[in-house]
Amino acid sequence: MSSISQISNNPELAIEVQGLIKSYGKVQALRGINLEVEPGEIFGFLGPNGAGKTTTIRCLLDMIRPDAGAVHLFGINPQTNPVSVQAFTGYLPGEVQYYENMSAERQLRFYGDMRNGQVDWQYVHELAERLSLSMKQAIKNLSKGNKQKIGVIQALMHRPKLLLLDEPTSGLDPLMQQEVLSMLRESNAAGATIFFSSHIMSEVENLASKVAIIRTGEIVEVAETSILTGRTMRRLTVRFKRPVSSQSIENLPGVEVLDGSNDTCCTLQVTGDMERLVKALGDYPVLDLETYHPTLEETFLAFYK
Amino acid sequence: MKRLWTTFRYTFQWFRGQIFGWGVGIGSLGLLIVAFYKVFGERQADFMKMIESYPPELLAFFGTDKQGVLSPEGYLGMYGFSFLPIIIGFFAVLAGGSLIAADEERGRLDLVIAHPVGRSSFFFGRTLAFIGGIMSILALGWLGFCVLLNGSSLDITWAEMALPFVSLLAQALIYGSLALMLSMFLPTRNFATVLSGLIMVVGYILSSMASLNPSLDKAARLFPYTYFQGSEAFTNFNLSWLFALIGASFIMFLLAWWRFVRRDIRLSGEGSFRWQLPLRFHSKSA
Repeated sequence: MSSISQISNNPELAIEVQGLIKSYGKVQALRGINLEVEPGEIFGFLGPNGAGKTTTIRCLLDMIRPDAGAVHLFGINPQTNPVSVQAFTGYLPGEVQYYENMSAERQLRFYGDMRNGQVDWQYVHELAERLSLSMKQAIKNLSKGNKQKIGVIQALMHRPKLLLLDEPTSGLDPLMQQEVLSMLRESNAAGATIFFSSHIMSEVENLASKVAIIRTGEIVEVAETSILTGRTMRRLTVRFKRPVSSQSIENLPGVEVLDGSNDTCCTLQVTGDMERLVKALGDYPVLDLETYHPTLEETFLAFYK
Repeated sequence: MKRLWTTFRYTFQWFRGQIFGWGVGIGSLGLLIVAFYKVFGERQADFMKMIESYPPELLAFFGTDKQGVLSPEGYLGMYGFSFLPIIIGFFAVLAGGSLIAADEERGRLDLVIAHPVGRSSFFFGRTLAFIGGIMSILALGWLGFCVLLNGSSLDITWAEMALPFVSLLAQALIYGSLALMLSMFLPTRNFATVLSGLIMVVGYILSSMASLNPSLDKAARLFPYTYFQGSEAFTNFNLSWLFALIGASFIMFLLAWWRFVRRDIRLSGEGSFRWQLPLRFHSKSA
């Protein structure tokens, strides 16, 4: 039986997800997800295939109905008032499909009409120009990347206050990826909240101010991007004045000696607190110590080890 | 209302080619049938000889018998109205089954429905365009049957000629609404289309054969084709049958809407609801 809360705890939030559960038959896609996205935030949603990213995004727009839990976008429940939510939202699906015989312009006009014509066509042409998209060509003759550009334009063309994007740069070349990211930054600077899923870590790292990591339908981490990349896992390269046995270092909890280490230089991966390691190193003739933060990709992979 | 109108407008535009193709096709058929009536009258003896050589089962398929074919109504019934419900029925089944499910299966519905349209407005916009499409096809077909009517010896007015087409509309609506409803409940639109088409063809065979074998009459009454009024509509138009068919179609449209506004929108290639047989088969390992 579904138990769906109708009341938002905090109507100020751009996105509020409480205890979201969704199953497809026997497969539980979402296992009680909680998320909070502040207005004006760029929020990255990371996870491998099948983790529940798309299911979460589709619940936000009332494409699919959760079995339990609640969703509110700017205080509005999309299940009870989907049209209001869809009016202020721009959405880009993970795999965007069109009416193939239409031209890009005709397809965008169709979407514009679906929004009661509330679209600034000068802005649409500006976006198309920036993305080097030919508006007159039939969609069936366009490449995957060009089709993705139409999707990006339709999501942005009504200047929404909330953008829900499922892998927005998928299929685009690196140059166009950068262009789309700068468009998203501009939208954000104009006040839009952006919630996007991605597999490209560098993209999330560059764009998102906050990141959630989802694994098998559960949120395993939510943190500011800078904090997430700066904590939980570090790498150190320690050089010693003379050959030493690193036995006592290896035995420290959360410390792993990586391949390629020898008795004068070892590379360590440290998960969690650094204090014990620093104290232990005090007993060694340390010549040099180099520490560096892992990329978001390394952090992400650490959650799946 | 504006949202419903937008959906209607676009869907009706997409139907234009089909309206033209099916409408002109049926209209041309009507034109030929009416034009040939004169030849039929002039060479009645030759035609009768040919018709007498037909087995009664074949004539039953055309909804007539050896005597009935002599009258203008019998002639129109045999050459035109006996199989028009199947022709328009095929359009209705294909278009009804694809009306929403085709976009859903091709992954287009996801983005369309993410726009501020509302599922109900979207559903009724598309359904009204579908009904409008059927009416347009039948109007073109009716025109084709009427154009040469005044110059022919068929003693039928344009208004009378409209009556079988009203009955055809009811037939098309029932098959279309059935296909639409099934496409909302079943996992694939192909399944819905095949099942609806099967119901249509089985009904046609049973209703045709029931005139030769009365024991089939009871079963035939369960199928919509039995309530089609072709040439019978000229003399004895049964309004109760007409309203019963339209009423049943209306109920199926409502059931399809009820299901559509409640269920998940599937992504392309995704079966978000599965059919499970109550039986379980356990394979025994050797």
